[in-house]
Amino acid sequence: MKTAIQAELPPELLSQAQAYVNEGWMPNLNDLLTEALRRYLESHASELTATFIRDDVAWGLHGHD
Amino acid sequence: MATTDPVGQFVVCDAGPLIHLDELRCLDLLAEFETVLVPSAVWIEVARHRPAVLVSPGVPLRRVTVSLPWTPALEVLSQALSLHLGEMEALQVACEQQVGLLLTDDTAARLAARNLGLLVHGTLGLLIRAVRRGQRSRDQVLSVLRSVPDQSTLHIKSDLLDEIIRQVTESTR
Repeated sequence: MKTAIQAELPPELLSQAQAYVNEGWMPNLNDLLTEALRRYLESHASELTATFIRDDVAWGLHGHD
Repeated sequence: MATTDPVGQFVVCDAGPLIHLDELRCLDLLAEFETVLVPSAVWIEVARHRPAVLVSPGVPLRRVTVSLPWTPALEVLSQALSLHLGEMEALQVACEQQVGLLLTDDTAARLAARNLGLLVHGTLGLLIRAVRRGQRSRDQVLSVLRSVPDQSTLHIKSDLLDEIIRQVTESTR
């Protein structure tokens, strides 16, 4: 089941996305946005982000630079 | 991640830390470095969203043009992690010029940096480091950390931010 959402996009970003679809890389804008969102969530996994932030804290507190 | 590494005097900065530090009125923390290299794509991004950053007195920003082609490793990582142009340029500059530190708040860019063997940290690390380096008092940094949700566009879960505040409070007592 899919859910429709409404989002505001910068015109130039939408234009780039539409061009990508028009070139035939994706069948439509829906699929492109779904893929973009999936990739973002994959590469920004919550645990990974938290790990990096904790790493920052350790460096900030105990680094030797 | 290493905590015993020398940062050196040259750092490369992505857009996130420049914008977030400025939002938190802590951009001056970058003045400690001799030069903060800002790749062109990052420069343009910051100019669009927060132009005042680029003319901040005392902050040693230097715009750098990135040489192409991308390194093969970076090209692969870019596709796998959907990196933005600014992030790619920051990574490329960090690799080419062998700088001591890459500053970014983007998780994907940090993941890529790790894969490339780069030392990478972000806004929160710089803020907390300021206590250790004598740039800010502990109370000043705690105040800034508490203001992150309201004063900046740096996204962090509230329970994690609470944990960080607790750590900073306890470690510097």
